[in-house]
This record gives sequence, structure tokens and C-alpha cells, in this order.
Amino acid sequence: MDRTKQNDIIRRAGAMAGKACFVAEDFAHVLFPRTDVVFNDRMRSNARQYLRSVVRQIEMRICEIATRDLGVTQETLLSIGQGGDGRSFALLEHSGLLNKPEIVQHLFVKTQQSELAARLLQKISQEDLESTLTRHLDHEDPAVAEAAMGLLVAQSKTTGSAGEIAATLADLPPEIVYAIAWPVTAALARLSGSPVLRLQQAAERLLAAHDEGAGVARKADRLAQLLEQGKTEQNPFPHPMKDGLTLFVARLARQSGLTSDQIVAFTAEPDMARFIVVLRAADYPVQDALSIYVALASGDHILTAATYGELDRDRSLALVSRWAAPDAYQNADRILSRDYPGADGQ
Amino acid sequence: MTAARKLSEPVRAEVDADGLLLSADPLLMRLHLRCGGKEGGPLAVPELAGLCRLSRRLGMNLSRPVQASDDDCRIEMWVETRLASPEKDQPLSLSILDWKEYAHEEDDRPDPGRARDFDRLEGRGVIRTDAALRIIAQQMPGDAARNFDAIGQSLVDIYDVIPPSAHAKLLEAVAERQPIRNQRMRAKIGDQSLFLLQGQPLIDKAGLFAGYRFIATPDDPEIRDQDIKRVSGKLISDSLFGMQLGPALRQPLGKIIANAETISSKLEGPLRGDYASYAKDIASAGRHLLDLVNDLSDLEAIERPEFTVAGDDIDLIDLAHRAAGLLAVKAADHRIRMELPDEQQKLPASGEFRRSLQILVNLIGNAIRYSPDGSVIKLSVSSDEGFARISVSDQGDGIAAEDQERIFEKFERLGRSGDGGSGLGLFISRRLARAMGGSLAVESVAGKGSTFTLSLPERKKS
Repeated sequence: MDRTKQNDIIRRAGAMAGKACFVAEDFAHVLFPRTDVVFNDRMRSNARQYLRSVVRQIEMRICEIATRDLGVTQETLLSIGQGGDGRSFALLEHSGLLNKPEIVQHLFVKTQQSELAARLLQKISQEDLESTLTRHLDHEDPAVAEAAMGLLVAQSKTTGSAGEIAATLADLPPEIVYAIAWPVTAALARLSGSPVLRLQQAAERLLAAHDEGAGVARKADRLAQLLEQGKTEQNPFPHPMKDGLTLFVARLARQSGLTSDQIVAFTAEPDMARFIVVLRAADYPVQDALSIYVALASGDHILTAATYGELDRDRSLALVSRWAAPDAYQNADRILSRDYPGADGQ
Repeated sequence: MTAARKLSEPVRAEVDADGLLLSADPLLMRLHLRCGGKEGGPLAVPELAGLCRLSRRLGMNLSRPVQASDDDCRIEMWVETRLASPEKDQPLSLSILDWKEYAHEEDDRPDPGRARDFDRLEGRGVIRTDAALRIIAQQMPGDAARNFDAIGQSLVDIYDVIPPSAHAKLLEAVAERQPIRNQRMRAKIGDQSLFLLQGQPLIDKAGLFAGYRFIATPDDPEIRDQDIKRVSGKLISDSLFGMQLGPALRQPLGKIIANAETISSKLEGPLRGDYASYAKDIASAGRHLLDLVNDLSDLEAIERPEFTVAGDDIDLIDLAHRAAGLLAVKAADHRIRMELPDEQQKLPASGEFRRSLQILVNLIGNAIRYSPDGSVIKLSVSSDEGFARISVSDQGDGIAAEDQERIFEKFERLGRSGDGGSGLGLFISRRLARAMGGSLAVESVAGKGSTFTLSLPERKKS
């Protein structure tokens, strides 16, 4: 065994000793999941790849600003800024700094979204899916036509093939960019030994330059708002195969008072139960609901007209209204009902 | 009702680091002031102010939907924030791209009081129960004291379920939260009157079963049997409409109207425009027929020798407001404004509540029908010589002197047709007024509108 290998094993052994207490915890999460949601290997792999790519893009952009605009000449930063190997991810990965609820929730939603997109592409061709938005380009309301064009342009900038998650900095929600940019800045400062102030300024410039309105999600939200405001009887209920996945989710979210992320997350749950309740609450006719379910389901489960028809709409509305409450309230309510078994809901 | 504002240019504003509104275009400034803000003060539109704070905290440009509300409407906007520079003390620019206003939904919600007036006008009672079928509100025709005594008691303690149904079957339906249809029940106390119950389960905001709302329609087989005996042997009976044809016709007509309205409102899906229009015609013809059946039933009732009316203590001003409320939508359709007496005042009279309301609804309905769009109908009250009077004045074509008595005759239309009237309303109204010890008269000059005055015996103010 050569000297380098020996050093490596010693380094890894030392690192492992520091983390050994978490092994049982990690294994427990795998053995005893608290939900029935199934995360397949593809989802895990996609999520990891996506997170790595996001961190990489943010890191590269900060280094680019620091070296090009702020005159920092440190070698590591120059190399990363010019497309060299990223360094932050490895440091942040095991630090727990990326294991934040908002980041993990975003990863889950993006991963599930790519699952849905892949399922949809088994039922409709990429070309047909891309042409769904063009029908709004001639809309009589210029604001709708303009918003549709905006979404089309934003979508065309998004990279990534079918079944793969596209990680584009412009498409990231501001809260996620913020949550990742500062840990990356700290990691870069530690890795490069560069002046902290300059790196902080570079991060601030990155954040200030981020335009949420240019992202696909917000473009879809705005188009959904305009379409729902001027909803006509010709097209009262959106469909993923007619509107495309992003716009369909945005319109359903708007109709139900939930967020697009919630709608996507519901589709990952067993039998898409909450998703079906959302459709029922929004009063989707049975044929539309069945067709949407078939377009988005993985094929393991079946929704029948009888099952959907028997769902009580008032009850569905009440449930959706409860899910639309702020997260903090829902979490508090859940904790309180667990701590006080005599309380409502038990 | 919605009103979109097509923004040719985005609405712009500037907010400083402390959240003070430095400048704003007039549309946003007006909203800011109506939300309680001051010029140069903190931005008073809560969600907009929250978005500014978030944008500043993150140091990022946001683009999000925002909702605001003032006394008149709810506003949906699409807002973009722009930070001039990463410097935290620089003003933040707001740019509102879309602006859509919605009138408050409360305006469209049915007024429960109005629904109760409709029920009372039709002689129906209402019972509201909790989830355990305990009565929490009851408004039955007739004995008010009985209504009060029933509160808190179980529905099945107050009313007997009449076979062929049974308590068990009713309770089974309740356990399954099923609607209750045509359940016959008899009051256990008092006059032991019979009712036909229709019940709808109520679901509260949390989605839980909260009880039932029952509509109780009087259903007295003894009267029906007597009438059937009386008419036996006659081909066309004296009570053809009231007891036989009326009930038989009302149900199918009700279904025709409901289905035609569903079709015309396209609730079940898109429809060709002319088909929707035909369905509207069917609904309109159905309503006309139903009115005619009701008029003929009333006509028959008032011509019976044993016809009597109750001597309720009523307030004509309260009745005027209730009747106007029932016809508010119809008046609004014709942009007709109704001037009503001061609601704080009272004019006590003696007469049957339901019949007096029926007369006023007939008078105001006629006034709307024969008044030009955009005109005013005035309801005024007075009292003298032991009578309380309420007058309905319109700005229609008026009635020629020689026709002023004829209009109170049976089936008299003064040559009019196609306006939905049966020619029985005024005849019935006058007969009802007289049965209550009062009168119904008209004063009119051709071309200058008409004033119909209902007089009822005055009741001393308590």
C-alpha cells in the first residue's frame, strides 16, 4: 500500500469516527419511513445530480463576479469562475448546510416534477407538448398572449432532456438561491482564503441580479392568473396534455388556493389521494379527472368514475381549504394535536 | 362581478428602506389611502408591504401575485419588485403589471333572511337541527310560542314520523348524512298538524357534519279528504287547483323550470347559444305557468265560504322592506330604484303576515313590470281613521280613470298580453285585503304613474 492510499484511509477513518453516531439514525430513516411516499433510485439520483448542479452554478457565478467585476485574483476562484471543477459541494454536502427543509422540499418537488414530465411524455410527444403553449399566443387579451410568449421563451431556455431535471439558475426560487448562495460563499471563503468581504459583495450582486419574474414557474403562475381571471366556458378545466405540465399545475393551484409545489407533491403520494381530492374540490368533471389521472399516474393504480363520483365535494373543499392554511399553522396544529390527544382531530 | 383594468402602462411606486411609500401612481395611491395609509406613510396594502420586506430581506427582485381588498372589492395584482442596487438603504421600485377587481362575494350570497321570507310567503316552515337532531332554531307557520318551546328538544320528540316510514329509517338516513325527502311528520303537541319535511345535511367549515336544515310544508290529509269528498261527483271541482291540480302541477313545473335554468346557465357544460336561449324561454314559460297555478289556487281559496285569514300583529314598514328585498334582483335587472320608508320606524297593523306580504309582492311586482327601466318605485306609509296604509307608487304609463275599477276584476289585463301576468293578482290582492278588514285602492292619472294603497286595521303601538 503506497503512502497516499494510507493517508487517504486514515483521513476517511478519522472523518467516519466523527459521524458514526449518525449511522443508526440514517438507517432508521430508511427502515422506518414516516410517510408512504416511495422514493425510487431514479428520484434519488436526479435529486442529487440537480443539487450538485445548482450549487455548481451558484458557485461559478459568485467566482465569476468576484474575479471579473471585483478584481479578486485568487487562483481557486479564477479556476472555478472559468468553469473549472467545483469545490463547494463536497464541503457543504456533509456539513448539513444543504439539509435544510426548504432546500430538501424544493429538491423533492423538482424531482417529482421530472417524474411527472417523464410519465407525460409516454402519452404525448415532446413536439406536441411544446406546441401546447402556442395556442395562447393569439389570445384576444394581449396580456395573456404576452404572458404565454414569456413562458414559452423561459421554457425554451430551460435545458435538460426528458426524465432529467434541468437546473437553471434563472428558474430557481429566490428563497432557494438565497439559502444556497450564502453557504456557498462561506465555503468559497474557507477553500480559497480570499477576502471575505469581496466574496460577500459578489454574493449580494448575484442575488440582486436574480430576477424571479424570468423563471418558468412565475411565468406560468402569471399566465395561470390571467387565464383563470378571463376563464371562458370553452376551456374551463386545464389538462396537462393541453396546457403542458407547468401551466396545468399553476392553473390547478390557482383554482384551489394551494401552491404549485403542493400540487406536485400531492402527485407523489400513494394513489394520488390528495391530488384527486383537489380535482374534486375544484369540481372537475369526472371524465376530465380520470383523463388527468391517467396522464400523470405511474400506471400502478386506477381511478374509477364511481370512486371519483362518490367523493363528497363539500368535504373535499373543506380539506383543500385546510391544506391551503400557512405551513406554520399546519405544523403547529399537527404538533398540538399530537401533544394533546383530547384535542380536536383525534 | 369583475372589472379588469387594462393597464397600458404598469402601475409604479417607490418604497424606502423603512417601508414608507415615497411615490405611487394614482391607482395604487388610491388603494393605499383606502387601506388606511397616508401620503408618505408606511405602505398600507398588507401583502404588498410584505412582498417589499421579503424582497429587501433577500436582496432579490421578486415577481409574485398579490391580493388586496378594500370596502368595495378584492383586487388581484401581479407585482414585480426591483432593487436599485444591493445597497440596503436605496428605494425599492414596485411595478404592478396586472390589476383586476372583483366585487365582494358577499353581495352574491343569498341572504338567509330573504330565503326565510320566501318560505313564509309560501307558507313553509324551517327547522334547523344540530348533528344530534336537536332543534336549534324553528320557524313554523302559526304558533310562535311552540317555536320557542321546541328549541333544544330532539326533532323526533317533537314530531312523529308518519308510516309507511319510521323513526329507524329516518335515523338511518341521518346517520348516513343523506338528504331527507318527502318525509311526513306530525307535531306531537298543539294542533298535531302534519308536515312534509325536506332536509339537507349541513357541513361546517371544517368539513364536519353539523346537522340538518329542514323545510316543512303543511300537509293536512283531513282537509284534503274533506275537499275530495266535497268535489266527488263533479267533473270540475270547486277546489280543482288548491287541492288537486295545483300540487300535481307544481312539482313537474318546478322540475321543468329547474332543469331549463340549469341548461340555460350552462352549468352542465358548453351549449350552443341559441339552445341556451330556448332553455331560458322554457324556464320563463314554466315560471309563468307556475304563477298561474298559484294564482288559481289562491283564487279558489279566497272564493271558498270558509276562507279566513289570521290576525297577526304585523308591521307594514317591516313588510315593505321584506317585499322589496324579495324583488330586489328583479328591480335591479331593470335598473329600477326602490325608495323605502325609514326602517327604524314602525307602523303596526293587524293582518295575516303571509297574505299581507303576498299583496305587497304583487303590487311591487306589477310596478316593476309596468315601469320604464331606470325609474323609481316609492313605498310610503301613513295612518288615519284607524287604518295603517302603505302605498306603492310607480312612474309607469298610469291607468285611465275608466279602467281603475276594471283592473281589480278577475282575468282583466286591459288588453295586455305576453308580460307574464295572469290578470288575477290584483283581484286576489283586493279580496285578501278585504278579508283582513282592509282595502286596496288605486289612484292614477294616465301618463303620470299609479299609486296602489293597501289599508289594514291599525294596531296600537305597544
